[in-house]
Amino acid sequence: MDVASFAGPFLPEILLLGAALLIYLLDVLGVRRNEIVGAIALSGTLLALLFVVADLGFAPLAGLATVPSGQVDALPTGTPLYAFTSLGFVFQGIFLLASFLVTLASMSRPSNERGAPIFYGLLTLATLGMLLVAIASDLIFLLLAIEVTSIATYLLVAYTRKDPRALEAAMKFYIIGALSTTISFFGASLLFGAYGTTNLYAIAAARGTVGFPVLVLLGYGFLIAGLAFKATLVPFHAWAVDVYDGSPTDVTSFLAGGSKKVGIFAFFLVFLAPILYVRTAASGTPFTTGTVALGPVLQLTLSAVAVLTMTLGNILALLQKEMKRMLAYSSISQAGYMLIGIAVGTAPALAGATLQIFAHVFMKGAAFLVVAGVAGLGIGPLIADYKGLGTRKPLIGVSFGLMLLSLAGVPLTIGFVSKFVLFSAAVQAQGYFVWLAVAGLLNSALSVFYYARVLKVMFFDEPAAQPAASGAVLGASEPVLLAAGGLGYGRAAAIALATIVIVVAGVYPQPILGAIQSAAQHFVNVGA
Amino acid sequence: MFPLISLVLVTLLAGTAATFFSGARARWVALGTSVLFVLEVAFLFLSYSGWPGYNSSLVPGFAESESYAWISISWMHVNFTVGVDGISLVLILLTAILQIATVVYSWGEEKRPAAYFGLLLLTCLGCFGVFVALDVLLFFLFWEAVLVPMFFLIGFWGGPQRRYAALKFFVYTHVASIVMLVGLLALVFYSGATSFDFASIYAAARGLTPVAQTFLFLALFFGFGVKFPIVPFHTWLPDAHVEAPTGGSVLLAGLLLKLGGYGLTRWAVEVLPSGLHTTQPLLYFIAFLSIIWGSVLSLSQRDLKRLVAYSSINHMGIVLLAIALNSSLGLLAAVLLMFAHGIVSALLFMTAGSVHHTFGTRDIAGLGGITPRTPALSTMIMVGSLASLGLPALISFPAEFTALLATWNGLAYWVFIPLAILVVTAAFYLWMMQRILFGPPKGVPLDAHDVPWYEGVGMGLLVALTVLFGVLPGLLVNVIVSSPVKGFPGT
Repeated sequence: MDVASFAGPFLPEILLLGAALLIYLLDVLGVRRNEIVGAIALSGTLLALLFVVADLGFAPLAGLATVPSGQVDALPTGTPLYAFTSLGFVFQGIFLLASFLVTLASMSRPSNERGAPIFYGLLTLATLGMLLVAIASDLIFLLLAIEVTSIATYLLVAYTRKDPRALEAAMKFYIIGALSTTISFFGASLLFGAYGTTNLYAIAAARGTVGFPVLVLLGYGFLIAGLAFKATLVPFHAWAVDVYDGSPTDVTSFLAGGSKKVGIFAFFLVFLAPILYVRTAASGTPFTTGTVALGPVLQLTLSAVAVLTMTLGNILALLQKEMKRMLAYSSISQAGYMLIGIAVGTAPALAGATLQIFAHVFMKGAAFLVVAGVAGLGIGPLIADYKGLGTRKPLIGVSFGLMLLSLAGVPLTIGFVSKFVLFSAAVQAQGYFVWLAVAGLLNSALSVFYYARVLKVMFFDEPAAQPAASGAVLGASEPVLLAAGGLGYGRAAAIALATIVIVVAGVYPQPILGAIQSAAQHFVNVGA
Repeated sequence: MFPLISLVLVTLLAGTAATFFSGARARWVALGTSVLFVLEVAFLFLSYSGWPGYNSSLVPGFAESESYAWISISWMHVNFTVGVDGISLVLILLTAILQIATVVYSWGEEKRPAAYFGLLLLTCLGCFGVFVALDVLLFFLFWEAVLVPMFFLIGFWGGPQRRYAALKFFVYTHVASIVMLVGLLALVFYSGATSFDFASIYAAARGLTPVAQTFLFLALFFGFGVKFPIVPFHTWLPDAHVEAPTGGSVLLAGLLLKLGGYGLTRWAVEVLPSGLHTTQPLLYFIAFLSIIWGSVLSLSQRDLKRLVAYSSINHMGIVLLAIALNSSLGLLAAVLLMFAHGIVSALLFMTAGSVHHTFGTRDIAGLGGITPRTPALSTMIMVGSLASLGLPALISFPAEFTALLATWNGLAYWVFIPLAILVVTAAFYLWMMQRILFGPPKGVPLDAHDVPWYEGVGMGLLVALTVLFGVLPGLLVNVIVSSPVKGFPGT
């Protein structure tokens, strides 16, 4: 069977769109049960994931590839809106995994919960937008794809329509998001003014022929600002904590584990070309403004943003008393680590950052899923409320502990491997990037303290009195919910899956790391 | 070849995991693991093929080495490579001895014994790993694996100031290990080594310019030096020792300090000869500073543990001096000293712990004339102190003698600095013994008993070894000099 010949390259996207439309159709027909709607979203996501993995060249699934292998990682002819790269497929896989985890966990919510169709439909549509980002090769297409994701996530934050905190968060998210979109489009228009094209490959090819370097500088500057909002980079991070805190926690998981990475991948797409010439100066004419080359300026800017983001995120995370806000700040600092990848701009560094993003889905995304789950067990929002969780619910405690250790970069977790690869790549690039690695490592050391504090609260502090009526919070009429340690089967499965990935990929990262490294290498080769 | 080193690692891993989950029976599981560990190490020691003329290993010059691919992508090749030579073998022997001695000594630990013994074993596992790892990532993994259990040992079982001490220990050593890691990564990538293996780094580093070697050496020296500890980065040590539980102190002084010395010889001195050459004056300066500072401060201590802690700084200063000499005799002396200090400081910290358990205080001025009440404990204190001040026929003497001889060969009359300091060392130990052991009883409760059997056995084992290796240092010397390090007969 050859899928590519009869379904076309957009099969994963079509599957998600179909799932979303089916969900809304059933909503009109009155079918709104959480399990049914969730199952549709879940199967759409899983099928899409299957095809994306096949596209990545996973041999046993070779027949399922939707894009002929000749078209992947090839320099496109003309100025197409989209192009297929293996790194794009890796990111599609990461996005689908983030969506999959959230969908799976949400399956264990009460089956008569209001808003289930809205939630799953929006989640699927947001994922669709993210898949499009991963294949973009044109600035306008890229920004529109980001917009698809953004609009879906604005609504997702407020989908319950009841919680005033969520509504406030959605409003804030929407206003900031709209502003950042405007800024990005303005930057894109400046680049169009300079190059006469918005195609990223054409821009890469046209470097050196530009007559208005100031326009170029400004254009990239605005793009940094606009995309930095999306990726929660300092100094454009302030919205993230309020939004993450105010959103329903499952949505937060998707925002932190999934949709934020769109911003990082947009950085990869937009900034690789101007930065790369530094490494392949022989193959192309450099971007220059007078005597100043553009690439080093961008690299220095992005490095500074990365260091600021890591440091500020970590310091503020240290000061938090609430679990969600602490995780939100830690999420900001993690974005700083990821930015190192593009600031260094070599294939190894991109691979390290991609692995870090992959890891982040299972560490941070799943950590928010745990927070959402234990809130249903009567555990409050404060870190102190987690007292004794490790002894009362050892499996949940150990899983959550492993996620936090992985975030801290403790060896034999995937978080360690990703940081090790990333910082090694920074050292390998030599020059001042060695100091970037030092900054990253010092920040990892700093971050250990706030993660360790949670571990101490969970495992060493004496448990508080048993919460009286946790059954009431859950809705005791739902027997499924009370199974699997009170989390429900879906959520327990999602958390278990994440924990297994954290440990297995932490001990033996070779398969996933090998795939990511070769994808990143192809990405850099085409970009140059 | 039979994967003996991996087998030891698996034994320790399984034993450590089992200890954590065995509740009240933890001490028995820990003891069983330690006995197995000792037997395996004995086997490793006896079957060691690294005598002159051997050639049976994957990594040139390392006997018993094993290598398995772990991470392999185009620019990064990490292998699970382990191997031993004479230097690491001696330190592994020390690890096995101290592990079993500590487990026996701590038999009476009542506060969460499963976690306590598990963390003790984990610390030893990390130290063993550091001594056998021949790959940057593996080395770093084990290096960090030592840090975390020790942090918890101090922070959970320690004295009144334990939180502060644990945090200080963690911050100092963790920042140092970050610098070390960056130094090692830079070593890999700047030298263009084909993999993270010791062998390929060793070969590639020859091509580095002296300037690059100097910078890399300084980074590594800082990283390893804090663990030594060298003055002025030593202040975490006395705090950590005073607050740590006895078992923690023993491993801290006996093993953790050796990691710095081992790391410096294996990953810096051997790999970056030009780096050592240019920084030699700095190393001498810091070594003399540590020797003098540690010794003089020891004189003024009232707390028995603090006294031993400062004397450790003094002894490790001599180790640094011996390493910095960059001669085969100096290296031999450094390894002997590390082994000797490992045994003797462990013994002394155990006696300090027993004094505390028995009399409720470690204040030297507040105690006196304890010998009639606790003859066994007093004997141990005396043996430990005499060994530490370098009495012939006890373990430290051959080590210190070799170190002084090497210093004379390398630095001529500068040898009078460590010689003069030896007198000070003798003075503070003798003075301490005079105050605590002899004279009219002071601060001795009427119902004071001699040490319990398990503490006696733990210390007795170390006393026996102090005498054994003091009389027969050749047992160690023959192994050390078979290492593939320049100047030794095996090369």
